[in-house]
Amino acid sequence: MRSLRSRVLPVVLALAMLPLLGLALPGAEAQAPGPLVLGLDQEPPTLDPHASPSAVTYQIIASVTENLIYKAPDGRLVPWLAESWTAAKDGRSVTFKLRRDVKFHDGTPFNADAVKFNFDRIVDPKFKAGGSRAQLAGYVGSKVLDEFSVQVSFETPYAPFLTYAAAGTLSIVSPKAVKESGDQVHTRPIGTGQFMIKEYVAKDHATMVRNPAYTRKVPWSDRSGPAQIETVVWKFIPEAGTRVTTLESGETHGVYAVPAQSLPRLEKNTAIRIEKAPWPGVPRIWLLNVSKPPMDDVKVRRAINYAIDKEAFLATVYKGTGLKAISPLTAVMLDDPSLKAAYPFDLAKAKALLGEAGWQPGADGIRTKGGQRLEIVLNAIEYGGGTDPTAQLIQSLLNEAGIEVKIKAQARPPWYEDNYRCATHGPVMFLRSTDPDGLFALFHTTLVGGNFNWSCVKNAKLDGMLEQGRRESDPAKRRAIYLSIAQLALDEALTVPLVDELSVWAFRTGVQGIKYNFNAYPILGDATLRK
Amino acid sequence: MLTWILRRILAVVPVLFGVTLAVFSMLFLVPGDPVKMMLAEFVTNPDQVAQMRAQLHLDEPLAKQYGRFVANAVRGDLGTSIRSRRPVTIEIGENLASTAQLALAAMLVAIGLGIPLGLLAALSRNSWLDVASMGGALLGVSMPSFWLGLLLIFAFSLHLAWFPATGGGDLQHLVLPAITLGMIAAAIIARLTRSSMLEVLGQDYVRTARAKGLGGFAVVVRHALKNALIPIITIFGLQFGNLLAGAVIVETVFSRPGLGRLIVGGILNKDFPLVQGVVLFVATVYVLINVLVDVAYAYADPRIRLGRP
Repeated sequence: MRSLRSRVLPVVLALAMLPLLGLALPGAEAQAPGPLVLGLDQEPPTLDPHASPSAVTYQIIASVTENLIYKAPDGRLVPWLAESWTAAKDGRSVTFKLRRDVKFHDGTPFNADAVKFNFDRIVDPKFKAGGSRAQLAGYVGSKVLDEFSVQVSFETPYAPFLTYAAAGTLSIVSPKAVKESGDQVHTRPIGTGQFMIKEYVAKDHATMVRNPAYTRKVPWSDRSGPAQIETVVWKFIPEAGTRVTTLESGETHGVYAVPAQSLPRLEKNTAIRIEKAPWPGVPRIWLLNVSKPPMDDVKVRRAINYAIDKEAFLATVYKGTGLKAISPLTAVMLDDPSLKAAYPFDLAKAKALLGEAGWQPGADGIRTKGGQRLEIVLNAIEYGGGTDPTAQLIQSLLNEAGIEVKIKAQARPPWYEDNYRCATHGPVMFLRSTDPDGLFALFHTTLVGGNFNWSCVKNAKLDGMLEQGRRESDPAKRRAIYLSIAQLALDEALTVPLVDELSVWAFRTGVQGIKYNFNAYPILGDATLRK
Repeated sequence: MLTWILRRILAVVPVLFGVTLAVFSMLFLVPGDPVKMMLAEFVTNPDQVAQMRAQLHLDEPLAKQYGRFVANAVRGDLGTSIRSRRPVTIEIGENLASTAQLALAAMLVAIGLGIPLGLLAALSRNSWLDVASMGGALLGVSMPSFWLGLLLIFAFSLHLAWFPATGGGDLQHLVLPAITLGMIAAAIIARLTRSSMLEVLGQDYVRTARAKGLGGFAVVVRHALKNALIPIITIFGLQFGNLLAGAVIVETVFSRPGLGRLIVGGILNKDFPLVQGVVLFVATVYVLINVLVDVAYAYADPRIRLGRP
C-alpha cells in the first residue's frame, strides 16, 4: 500500500492543483491603466430617458443626452439646448428659441421638429413611457413655429414644466435613431451631449466615449469643447461590500451609494475622497396614514412628531449620509426658519399630547384607551438583510412615549400594495423630484391609491393649494404657496420628515473635476483622471 | 439507447408544463402589481398605469394570459420583459454564456479539487492527510458562499490584487467566482469519492488486480476509480442544479452578468415574462443534464443498459 500511495500521491496532488493553476495564470498579468471606471449600485432597466422608470438611468446619461434648460445646483434655470424661452401670460404654453449649432451623435441636426418629436413620443399611447409621462401632465402638443422655434402647450397652466424640461426624463434624443434603431434605443440612446454610449453589456457595464464633435460651452463649465476624459465605464455592482472593495483595490475610480458603515473607513483612507450632494425632492419621510385609527387623531400624529429624535437617525443609520429633515421637501428645495422651528424633539410634550388624546400609560408602559392598546403598524421593505434599521429606530423611539410599533417587514410588491390600500399606518419612503410640485403626488386627493399619497389624506384646502402651485409661474409667489403647503402638512402632522439624504460618492484622489447637477447626478465633462 | 434518450426527452414536456404552471400561479399569488412596481420611482397617473397594463395584456383573465404565454413559448417567443422592454430570449441569450462559463468552471473546480482530495483521503485512510482533507471538505460544505466570496475578494482583490472583484468576460474575472461556487460541490464530491473509493478498494477485483502485479496507478485509476465513479456521477447531475442556484448568490457578490441575477431582478420587480422565461429555460437545461447523467452511467458501468429492464 505504501508504494502504491507514494506513486499515486504526486499525480493526485498535481491534479488537485491543475484547476487552480490553469485559472490563476492569466490573472498574474499586471492591470493595464484604463479609462475612468465608476461603480453604480444597480443596472438601469433601460437607458432610454423617456421609457425609464428608474433614477439610475439618469446617473449614466446626464452627460449623454441634453435638455432644453439646465437647472444649476443653486436652483437657477439657465439656457442649454434652448437659447431662451418665454412663458405665455396664461401659463399654458412656453415658446423655446433653440440653438442652431447642435447635432445629435448620429449627425442629424437638432431643431424644433426634434423637440416636437420627443415630447409627442412620450405621450403617444403606444409608447410605454416611464417617469417622463407624468411630467408632461396635460400636454396638448408642440407647434413648430420655425426651424428653431417651438411652442409647447398644455391644457391648463402648468408651471412645473420648466423645471421638468431641465430633468433627464425630458432630455432630447435623436428622432432618426428612435425610428430606426429598434430595441437598441434601450441600450444606446443617441443624444447631443459630451459623451456617447459605445457599448452596453447587460448586468456588467456600459461604456461611453467622448463626443469629439462637441464644440459648445456646457452650462456648468467655463470651458467649451469636448469632455476631458476619453472613456468612462459604468460598472453595475449591486453588492455594497464588493462595490466599496473595488474602490479600495483601484478596480474602480469612483463608487456611488457608499453605505454609511463604510464611510469612516474610507474617510481615513488618504487615497480616497468622499463627495456629497444633497438630493432634491422629498426627504426620507414617514407618511402617516391619517385615515387609520389611532392616527386619524391629529394629536397622536403630533405626538409622534415630537417623540421622534431626528438626531438619533443622523448619529446611527444615516451617519455621514444625511442632514436633519425639516419639512416634506428637502432643504435645497425649500428652506425657512418656520419649518426649522417645527417639532423639536420633546418627549414630555409627546406624552402630554397623547394624554390629552385620552391615551393613558398602561401596565407595560404602552398606553391604552378604553381597553385598547396604542399600537401602530409601520410598513417596511424587507431587503433580505434583516429588519430595516430605520423602522427599528422608530420603534424604539416611540416605545419611550408609550406607543407600540409593529414592523410589517415585507417584499417590495406587497409593500406597495399595502400603501395603495392604506392598509398600515404608513411607510417610510422618499421621492426625488426637482420641482416642489412633487408634493402634489404626496398629498393630492386624486393620488390616494396611486403614487404617492400614502398618507391617504383627502383635504380640499390642501388640494386647492397644490393646484394653485401648479398654475403659478411667478417664482416668489410659487415659493410662498409651497411654504404654506409645507406649513399646513406640518401643522396637520401628515408626515414625519426624518432625514434629508445626501448622494454619497467616493472617488480615488486621482479623479478631479466631478460636478453635480440639481438632480445630484454627476456630470463628467470636466472630470480628469490622474494615474 | 437512442429511443430511450428520445423518450426521456419527450418526458420532459409535461415536466416543463408543470413548472410553467407552478411559476405562473406563484407569481400571481404574490400581491403586487408589476406595472405599479415598475413605475414606482416616479409620479404616475392612473391612466398611465391602466394604459400600460393593457399594453402588456395584464388586464386579461389569468387563463388567457397563461394560454398566450404557452402558445408563444412553443413558437420560441418568451415575451418581452416588463422592466427592460426587451425580448426575454435576448435577455437570456445575453446572460447565458456568463452563467454557463461560471457553472462549467465551478464544476471543473469541484471535480479537480473534489476527486483528487477524496482519493488522497481514501488512499491515506486515517492518516493526517485523510483528516486534513476531510476537515477541509467539512469546512467547504459549511461555508456560505456569499461569505467565502467576500473573503476571496478581500484577500485576492483588495490585498494581493491578483484578480478583479467584479465583472464578467475573460478568464481573469472567472477565477474567484468559480472557486466560490465550486467549493461546496468540491467538498461534497471529495467526501463521496472517499467513501466510494474505500468501498471499492476493499473489493476482490482490486485485490486481484494487485495480485496480477499491476502498478498502483493502474489499480487505483483504471480499476478502482472507474467503479467508484457511479455515485459521484449521480451527485454531479444534482450538483449542477445546485450550481445554477448558487450562481444567484455568486453572481450578485461578484457583480457578474448571468441568469441568476436576471431571475432575482425579475422576481423582485414582479417581471412575469422574464421570470417565466428564465425558469422555463433553466428547467429545460436541468432536465436535459440529468438525461446526460443517465447516459454517462452506461459509460461508467457497462452492466447498466439504458432502456432495457
